[in-house]
Amino acid sequence: MGQVLTVAFFGLVALGFGVTVFRTSSMVRSALSLLGAMAAIGVMFLAMEAEFLGVLQLMMMAGEMTIMAIFMVMYMMDPGGLGQMEMTHQKRLSKGVGLTGCLGAVALTLLVDWGPTVASAPPPTTQVHDLGIELMSRSMLVFETAGVTILVAMVAATVVAIARHRP
Amino acid sequence: MTVLWLVPLLVVGTYIIVVLEEWVTTGRFRPVAPVFGGISLLGRESLVPRLPDRVLFEAAPGLLLVAPVLALAVLPLAPGTIIANLATGALFLNAALAYVMVALFMAGWGANSVYGLVGGWRFLGQFVAYSMLIVMPITAVAMRAQSLATTTIVESQTSLWNVIAQPLGFILFWLAAMAVCFLPPFDLPIAPHELAGGIMGEYTGDRLAILRLARLVLILTLSASVTIFFLGGWLGPVLPPWIWTLVKTLLVAAAMLGTGRFVPRLRQEQLVAWGWQFGIPLALTNILWVGVTLLVVA
Repeated sequence: MGQVLTVAFFGLVALGFGVTVFRTSSMVRSALSLLGAMAAIGVMFLAMEAEFLGVLQLMMMAGEMTIMAIFMVMYMMDPGGLGQMEMTHQKRLSKGVGLTGCLGAVALTLLVDWGPTVASAPPPTTQVHDLGIELMSRSMLVFETAGVTILVAMVAATVVAIARHRP
Repeated sequence: MTVLWLVPLLVVGTYIIVVLEEWVTTGRFRPVAPVFGGISLLGRESLVPRLPDRVLFEAAPGLLLVAPVLALAVLPLAPGTIIANLATGALFLNAALAYVMVALFMAGWGANSVYGLVGGWRFLGQFVAYSMLIVMPITAVAMRAQSLATTTIVESQTSLWNVIAQPLGFILFWLAAMAVCFLPPFDLPIAPHELAGGIMGEYTGDRLAILRLARLVLILTLSASVTIFFLGGWLGPVLPPWIWTLVKTLLVAAAMLGTGRFVPRLRQEQLVAWGWQFGIPLALTNILWVGVTLLVVA
């Protein structure tokens, strides 16, 4: 019961932060609200006894969301949100797409056959071990491909950025 | 019950570090000064700058204090004396320390002042430079222990401490730990002579007291993690285990605080360039070295 309540509570916290992301005009508040939502999801993982996933989520999102804040501040005209600038556009289309996406996601959770529920999660040590074996065997190709692709993109972006400054 | 014992130890540890800091950096040994300093800070007016981002401004000192305390919870003082012996302890330490950067960034942005803002962005750049040098040496340490649990990591050093088994990882982790605590020469976000306090510049009174306390706890946490990961934690002859952990932690802290006295502050671009051009290749070499030694020894 306590587990369900914790998951539900942090689910609501995540939703609350999620709404704040779009309600605020400050780019930094927006990015940090997204961090709040992601951290709440991390705590939900922990409550659901997926220790490794939870800790990883908490760790990765802290760096990623704050670095994202730099780019949001860099690209927006009014990053602090103090200039009362209107920053939304195509409202009707956005609402339509948002609503369709939301309904689609809800339908997906109801329609998919999630398989039998496990009576109890394996102990954290086993989880870490099994995850390691999985990453080094069946999922290795997927992760290596994704990793190399991102690395290539990073190197390419750097090369493009440097070349522009050459005389 | 164990937890209750750790709280006074945390207070005493922090107190010793603040005395050590003054002793090592200025040469003056004044054991009572922190008490008066603390009372004077708490008695002062706590000003709020004009047009702050109030939520971030108020939350930052608290978050900066909570992050290292959480990290400290997964570090063992002695066999069985640990607040949370997580199977993912070493990873959890990284997760908690990542929020140090978030807190400093919040403090910098929230105060709505130029120097604070520059300090906050600087620390974000510093995070990009040091974060891999925290994670990769810990990976090598976990490889040797074949576990992410901090207690197992200490036990894996019974035959040989990691400082000797993987000296390269030790040096990199040491430097990265100093960068996390923004100790000189990595004190870019506060930079007293060029940023007038930077992220701490706009804080006064009790808020500043919490920020300073948080920084001391951070130094204690990082010194303890160097001890646990590389200096054999509680392992040592004659004395009880918890004394060994404490002595090693305080020696590491003293050495970290002392180093900054003799080195000039790095520039932002130097730090990032060196971190990526030298630090990461060296950290990868360390992982390779540990992998090869493990295979050969096994």
